[in-house]
Amino acid sequence: MQRGRVRIEVKGLDKSFDVDGRPLKVVDGVSFTIREGEFVALLGPSGSGKSTILNMIATLLGSSGGEIEIDGEAIVTNRPRRNVGYVFQKDSLFPWRTVAGNIGYALELIGVAAGERRDRVEKAIADAGLKGFDDFYPASLSGGMRQRVALMRTLIVRPEILLMDEPFGALDTHTKLEMHEVLLRLWDRQKQTVLFVTHDLGEALTLADRIILLSARPGRLKQDFDVPFARPRNAVTLRETAEYGALFSRIWHSLGEEFARGAAP
Amino acid sequence: MSRRWSTLAWQIAIGLALLAVWQWGWLVNSRVPWLVPSILDPYFVSTPSQIWDEFLRLSCLKPGGGDWIGWNDGSFPRCLTKAQNNLWIATAVTLRNTLFGFLTGVSSGVVFGLLLGRSDRLSEIFLPYIVAANSIPRIALAPLIILAFGIGAVSKVVTAWLIVVFLVFFNTFEGARSVDRDHVNAARLLGASEWQITRTVTIPSTMAWVFASLTPAISFALIGVIVGEFIGAEHGIGRMIIEAEARGEAAGMMVAIFVLMIVGVVLAAGVRRLQTYLLRWRPSQQVAT
Repeated sequence: MQRGRVRIEVKGLDKSFDVDGRPLKVVDGVSFTIREGEFVALLGPSGSGKSTILNMIATLLGSSGGEIEIDGEAIVTNRPRRNVGYVFQKDSLFPWRTVAGNIGYALELIGVAAGERRDRVEKAIADAGLKGFDDFYPASLSGGMRQRVALMRTLIVRPEILLMDEPFGALDTHTKLEMHEVLLRLWDRQKQTVLFVTHDLGEALTLADRIILLSARPGRLKQDFDVPFARPRNAVTLRETAEYGALFSRIWHSLGEEFARGAAP
Repeated sequence: MSRRWSTLAWQIAIGLALLAVWQWGWLVNSRVPWLVPSILDPYFVSTPSQIWDEFLRLSCLKPGGGDWIGWNDGSFPRCLTKAQNNLWIATAVTLRNTLFGFLTGVSSGVVFGLLLGRSDRLSEIFLPYIVAANSIPRIALAPLIILAFGIGAVSKVVTAWLIVVFLVFFNTFEGARSVDRDHVNAARLLGASEWQITRTVTIPSTMAWVFASLTPAISFALIGVIVGEFIGAEHGIGRMIIEAEARGEAAGMMVAIFVLMIVGVVLAAGVRRLQTYLLRWRPSQQVAT
């Protein structure tokens, strides 16, 4: 599915961390390209550096080598780009703000007038299926509801590129499926360019157009799979189809080798 | 009888028993001296009835010692204006100075705490001085403060301020240092500038720490004011205690002490309510006292 212009370009990306004075290589020469409107899953066992790669693209982390370009421009560490949204692995809502306060946060930053802000927040709350929870504080919400709020907090400024770091990793299977439905529904409207980090193959197959498979540490690009399932998808029934099963076993075999390698001493 | 009522009944019974021992214990001492400790001597601790009478006198409710005030004959206002340091003036002065000390201490503590907590350079330079200053027992500075600022209200506010500011400073400093990295990153990725991060992330999450220090801060402010009044003052409850002590009047001291107890309880309860409201977003109220 090679459509549209290149939005994210990663070339020969390296990253080493200092562990007890010795460099530990976690990302090794990773290159890939993501085009306009693509939903790409970055899949790999833990320790494959997938979150590290995402954080470097998000400018939260500097690289040790290689290049990252967004819309043809090299990125600068700690200078996030306006059109890029990020959803955290850990629930990072501001606990002192209500649901509405969290979702409207980015609008406050850019000085959207209170009236317009209220309308947009109200719409976002309805979109996320959180009607009636406007004045709740995050502490009194379930994990799934908190991630819905986190998702809307990011989406409210309509980012064109969406970086997601295992956003549903901490949720139980049922809630996860619910969140997949929510995300697919919202994504279908705007077709953002998405890079979604996960270690859950089922999740990657449900959501993505393409799966980039990383090897166990140090993370290298292992394989690139197309996920040709028709859209709009249903997160539940999709898993019952034969195509899903076939592609699942193909990728599972390759991923399994990496799980084994990662587990080896 | 429910547990709550039985608890209340016990509490009242114990209170009454203590009052009775206080009131009549010394009478028993003259017959069986070994049973009643000499601390119950009314010369030291007075008796509840004497304290009550003294309360009526000091508060101008029974200024002559005999009759209740006549609102009509104007003896209450006359007593209020005549008596230099009557209970009402003393309480008002002590309360006012405590609140001023508290407010100035909290606000300056927060400002310093945020400044140093946000700047590694500033904290590197100033922290040794702050730690050194903090290890001086603040009470030791009270005479110096009276010398410098006189026996008026200013010296009391300064004493209270000195105690409160360090407490709040250290809480704020810790709070500003322990701001969750993820919250800062989330704000930055949502487009916040450095100043917006300070305003919308650092300050609110630090406030949780600041609020936790408010209850001890108000108690400390009261202590600071009372110590200041001991050393030199014209008005205030601390001054009242010193006056009664000079005259060897235990009842007068006891009245002042009871008023202080009530003031302390009311202030702490007020601050705690404020704190509960401000920290309503917290999952479980973990408020250190």
